[in-house]
Amino acid sequence: MFSAPSIALYIHIPFCETKCPYCDFNTYSQIEPLMPGYVVALIREIELWGDLLNHPTVRTVFFGGGTPSYLPSQDISQIMQSANRSFKIETEAEVTLESNPGDFTSDKLTTYLESGINRLSIGVQTFDDQLLGVLGRRHTAQDAVDAYRMAQDAGFDNISIDLMYGLPDQTLEGWKSTLKKALELQPPHISMYCLTLEEGTPFEAWVRLGKMSDPNPDLAADMYEATQDTMRDAGYRHYEISNWALEGLESRHNLIYWRTEPYIGVGPGAHSYLGDTRFANLKQPREYISRLTNAADGKFDLDNVNLDDLKMIIDIVPVVDTTEHIDRRLAMAETLMMGLRLDDGISIPDFNARFNQTPNEAYESIIADLTNLGLLKTSNDRLFLTPRGRILGNEVFSRFFE
Amino acid sequence: MSSDHADDIRNFCIIAHIDHGKSTLADRLLQATNTVDARDMVEQVLDSMDLERERGITIKAQAVRMSYTAADGQVYQLNLIDTPGHVDFSYEVSRSLAACEGALLIVDATQGIQAQTLANVYLAMGHDLEIIPVVNKIDLDIAEPERVSLEVQQAFGFNADEVHMVSAKSGQGIDELLQSIVDRVPSPKGESDSPLRALIFDSKYDPYKGVVAYVRVLDGEVSSRGKIRVMSADKESEILEVGYFQPGPTKSTSLKRGEVGYVATGLKSVGDAPVGDTLTMAARPASEPLTGYETLKPMVFAGLYPADGEEYLALREALEKLQLNDAALTFTPESSLALGTGFRCGFLGLLHMDIVQERLEREYDVDLLATSPSVAYNILLTDGSEIEIESPAKLPQPQRIEDYREPWLDLSIITPAAYIGPIMELVQTRRGIFNKMEYLQYGNSIVGAGDGGDARVLLEYEVPLAEVLMDFYDQLKAKTSGYASMDYSFSGYRSGDLVKLDILVAGEPVDALSIMIHRSEAARQGRALVDKLKELIPRQMFEVPIQAAIGNRIIARENIRALRKNVLAKCYGGDVSRKRKLLEKQAEGKKRMKRVGTVEIPQEAFLSILKVER
Repeated sequence: MFSAPSIALYIHIPFCETKCPYCDFNTYSQIEPLMPGYVVALIREIELWGDLLNHPTVRTVFFGGGTPSYLPSQDISQIMQSANRSFKIETEAEVTLESNPGDFTSDKLTTYLESGINRLSIGVQTFDDQLLGVLGRRHTAQDAVDAYRMAQDAGFDNISIDLMYGLPDQTLEGWKSTLKKALELQPPHISMYCLTLEEGTPFEAWVRLGKMSDPNPDLAADMYEATQDTMRDAGYRHYEISNWALEGLESRHNLIYWRTEPYIGVGPGAHSYLGDTRFANLKQPREYISRLTNAADGKFDLDNVNLDDLKMIIDIVPVVDTTEHIDRRLAMAETLMMGLRLDDGISIPDFNARFNQTPNEAYESIIADLTNLGLLKTSNDRLFLTPRGRILGNEVFSRFFE
Repeated sequence: MSSDHADDIRNFCIIAHIDHGKSTLADRLLQATNTVDARDMVEQVLDSMDLERERGITIKAQAVRMSYTAADGQVYQLNLIDTPGHVDFSYEVSRSLAACEGALLIVDATQGIQAQTLANVYLAMGHDLEIIPVVNKIDLDIAEPERVSLEVQQAFGFNADEVHMVSAKSGQGIDELLQSIVDRVPSPKGESDSPLRALIFDSKYDPYKGVVAYVRVLDGEVSSRGKIRVMSADKESEILEVGYFQPGPTKSTSLKRGEVGYVATGLKSVGDAPVGDTLTMAARPASEPLTGYETLKPMVFAGLYPADGEEYLALREALEKLQLNDAALTFTPESSLALGTGFRCGFLGLLHMDIVQERLEREYDVDLLATSPSVAYNILLTDGSEIEIESPAKLPQPQRIEDYREPWLDLSIITPAAYIGPIMELVQTRRGIFNKMEYLQYGNSIVGAGDGGDARVLLEYEVPLAEVLMDFYDQLKAKTSGYASMDYSFSGYRSGDLVKLDILVAGEPVDALSIMIHRSEAARQGRALVDKLKELIPRQMFEVPIQAAIGNRIIARENIRALRKNVLAKCYGGDVSRKRKLLEKQAEGKKRMKRVGTVEIPQEAFLSILKVER
């Protein structure tokens, strides 16, 4: 049997009531009729993986999207039941669900809690109603506050909120005011993302055509620096480039990605990383449903499958679209690219244990260069970014791919 | 007396400004003499290169033989020698003229005399050619044949009845013109029995026949057998073939006194049988070559680099092949920080440079990067010696330089009087020296003076070539609504208050960006370059000063502020591959950047600055 260690489980929900004009995730509006069939297909994929990997231990579960809170909460409940049948989900596992502020009802929240969801991530984005309009969000700032309170009242204590800065025509003062309102809620975790113009999105086109003002990178830098100060004063740990948490309440699921540890993603377009292979599912929800539904009526004959062979395992799954072999060299660079995003960076002994080489042995001149430039630092057996290195992260990461 | 029939031969060429209808007229002559069937007629038969047909210009001279039965019933051999129509090729023009006894001067009835026409007519007069003036395009509604005829009469001293009124398009006036050629162009002189002397007025390389020299026999005879000698180039070879064009190549047993045709020499490069040189028979050589031979000297230089560094050898091969056919093209290897390895190429002028570039890309399929053109400087060193500098990067230390000298031109411009002011202004900003102004007059009245500023004026200046290289011609056209025409000839080297302007990025001089410039222009140009570079160089992780300097003196400076933020906000949903690919792309982009000290500059930045025009 391929020995799957304890893993993280990502569950993709590709439905949104409306698609936001800055978003390039694999998500769709106007396909609600697919929901019931989708839940059936998703459960089949979860159960298939459970069988293929012999029901491994799962440390974290993450419902992402899309908008998981847009799916009926009974469906979430069913999906969780199948996950529990298929995997050994640890009792203390972190189970997160992404949500849109306007979607909560107290019944819904109760169903989540009963299903085992113990962490909510709320897509607030900004507390400026006008900017919420620009972002194409379907909630108001007050909706966000109400949603947060409602979740607390229902019994959720581990709540994260997502905010965006560097928005079109957003001022430094405007951003500070959003940040202040967020802190008034005293959330245990805040993710703050600088707006990126993704190719193929309406935002990118609007800026290119001059219909929307081009984000000013220096202003975004000012916002980021102001955020670091404010969050430090408020007692949060800046544990990852875009993430802040009260001590002990970091996103354990995302830490698995950043530490390049194994995970399984289910649902269309979801990515997985097992052993030395990263693979991704096909993106179209319709095709995803049909492949899982048609394949032997959902029954998979595993008798002739050599479950020691990861490649064979992946071949059985009818929705895997692309696989990529991550060789040792690539794995080292990816480990640095992801791990250096964390405030405590890379453990040099751990890196050495995994690759039989220290980062310094593998990238001597690059690390010396970056250290001289004041972007990278080594101390106490750890390699990590300096504050300047954090804001110029790509200048560091890209060097490992030369 | 000899067996030749030189008395029945008329050799002539056509002098015309671009678009005045030279090629159409030539086509019509070929048709009227049944040299070409109407149904085989491709427009502009003589302009055989695609490039020539597209641009409506003649790059290489051609010669075609026609038979014409004149009014007296006698059959005459008419040889039309087509001449290049651009000032870059004025030496080739002069050799074509030297091969003729007559010239048709074509002037467009809608436009009148242009500067270049004027220059070529004087050149033809200098060769004692019989000039037959032709006012063309008289069929057009906007034609002013009377006025243009007056202008021609006055400018060159013709009588009204000497001027032919023609429409090459409709054929009107063509027969009369042919008769005039027979009547007025003198038959060739020369000695039939003397050793062969044939003037090479053009040559081109053929992969099967080697260099094919286009010749006019002045004395003696060249037969299809025997050994030929190229007198000044001092080359000998066995004759492969002799013939003439009608208009396709037609073999013959010999070319006699007065005849025009070709000699296939089997020589390897047109440099072995250059334009202007003299052919003679090795067995019975002439004692003296014909006069007027000059080695062509390139006046304009630019770096040509392969867009893809891997194509360096392909570019060298293409240049070598092109040079087989173009003796005026020179090239020497050059390397530049920004552009890698390529060649410093010398050209006769801007059009020549343009043509070479286009042929390299079109016929040899090489993608090119070209730097903006510069001139060759003559530098007098403190030890009294002189050197030629084709690239500012090769300039010696300033303390070793006694004097900088740059090429100057005699420039003439013909323009409607209304534009004199703007032209004066333009030439002044280009360091031009005004020599004279002359109205093109008819009798006592000024041609066209009745309707205000329409009188046409000839302006003459002296101006440095470097100033004309930039965008002078475009500016002239812009300032005169396209009405002015210009012509120039090289007049010599003169001392100039020149300086070398260096561009420093983060304190490091960038070789490819150094330019030679007049001191008075240095501050403005330095500022323009610095501003442009500031726009083009991406922000680095530290502040980057960009400076323009003359020696140690900084004359312009800008700072590129340090890059403050560059980091992917979100690494989410486990899609690590996509983030990685973005970073790989960034790393790949950096690999293609050129390093100046610690600063990374995209090649595109260099290119756009090297092409920047004033």
